[in-house]
Amino acid sequence: MSSVSELYDVSWEEMRDKLRKWREENYRNSEQIVDVGEELINEHASKLGDDIWIIYEQVMIAALDCSRDDLAWSCLQELKRQFPDSHRVKRLAGMRLEALERYEDANKLYDSILQDDPTNTAARKRKISILRAQGKSSEAIRELNEYLEQFVGDQEAWHELSELYINEHDYAKAAFCLEELMMTNPHNHLYCEQYAEVKYTQGGLENLELARKYFAQALKLNNRNMRALFGLYMSASHIAASPKVSAKVKKDNVKYAAWATSQISRAYQMAGRGKKENKCSVKAVEEMLESMQITMS
Amino acid sequence: MGEVELSCLAYAKMYLHASQFPRCSVNGLLLSSSPAGGAVCITDCVPLLHTHLSLAPITQLALTQVDVWCLQTQQRIVGYYQANACVSDSSPTPCALKIAEKIFEQCNNAVLLMIDGEKMFPGGRVPPIVVYERKDGRWALKDKHTIMLRQWEETCSIVNQLLSSGDQGLLVDFDSHLDDITKDWTNQKLNAKILKLVSPANGNV
Repeated sequence: MSSVSELYDVSWEEMRDKLRKWREENYRNSEQIVDVGEELINEHASKLGDDIWIIYEQVMIAALDCSRDDLAWSCLQELKRQFPDSHRVKRLAGMRLEALERYEDANKLYDSILQDDPTNTAARKRKISILRAQGKSSEAIRELNEYLEQFVGDQEAWHELSELYINEHDYAKAAFCLEELMMTNPHNHLYCEQYAEVKYTQGGLENLELARKYFAQALKLNNRNMRALFGLYMSASHIAASPKVSAKVKKDNVKYAAWATSQISRAYQMAGRGKKENKCSVKAVEEMLESMQITMS
Repeated sequence: MGEVELSCLAYAKMYLHASQFPRCSVNGLLLSSSPAGGAVCITDCVPLLHTHLSLAPITQLALTQVDVWCLQTQQRIVGYYQANACVSDSSPTPCALKIAEKIFEQCNNAVLLMIDGEKMFPGGRVPPIVVYERKDGRWALKDKHTIMLRQWEETCSIVNQLLSSGDQGLLVDFDSHLDDITKDWTNQKLNAKILKLVSPANGNV
């Protein structure tokens, strides 16, 4: 079996830089991280300097994700040896217990961290993740709400909470979380688009109009967001088809829908250029837009 | 009720879809190219989402697009499948029931198929699926004996082959298509690859 460096013709420095990129952008491409990281650790540990500790941590977490307990264990041992009393390493030990589904033992470990340091957010979040893994959604939601009362700026937590609410079909509360995220991240087109999707799902004329506005906002921030484009088309079409709207509102929304249609067709035409197999999708979209117009008019 | 037959192609793609996103709930539609009436032959499937399964807009969009594609290719939507992120719970979620209900409105022997993540592992001898049908106004477990997977051994080995060559990465679901519309959610290339493995000329039978 050839090594990563052989297969992809990369140097150990490039491998180290790739790991850093994945770390900084929080990618969860665990299989790749394990492949690259394991080789880096085994073959080039001495060259990595102090970077090696953060790499051990990154590879350990990825190893847990891929059920590579052997690799996770050896990384953990190195970290334990180097940082014997560290809470950060203890949390990693806890994550390993979680991966082995030893949730009670993991919780005991996190509780001991919190006894020592009640402000340790990482341990608190792991406890919430355990609730989620056990399918205890309402408890996870309750704990996460309590957490956010204290740590109101934690974006990751707000997003996690919005996901939990969406799964529980509590769209109003999911919308609230997304509103928080949009306020603190006004340039993030994904939050706008998710908010619009939640509003659309809630239904009713007011929500549809909000949905359309936020799909439009998402497009302003990123004009290649296809979900937002389709969302704009669908919400505008539904509003235009509603018997409750004024003639002006109907006219405006017909215009928005028409604009969206032309953008969608254009995008698919560009995508389909020179690709034979995409004819299926392109044709399907054309007919779909036609059929949707018929059902919504 | 009637018999349900699940083709190797449909099974393989569902399995690959669940394998491609092990940390997410995934869902998709089950299609048939056989005429209505008699046994339900699931000949293909379209993988749909791996994010926000319960949000309406993208689901509606996907259903409409698949509808149109089915008309063009003489197929019908005959069912719905879902694999929950939480492996220990393979019961249908409200969103699964809702979509299955919609399909049932157009197809009176529609099936709802839940993938049982706990039974998915290499060398698993039992198909990791739980099938429901509409009976007396609710979705009830279907009698296992009415569910056919022809050439089960062959199907298993084909799936293992695909997984070991990492082919779940080739599968395109509707979500991935929206991220990059040059990707083909009808999976023509992957279909061809799988069908080649299935054909008797392969000497696998």
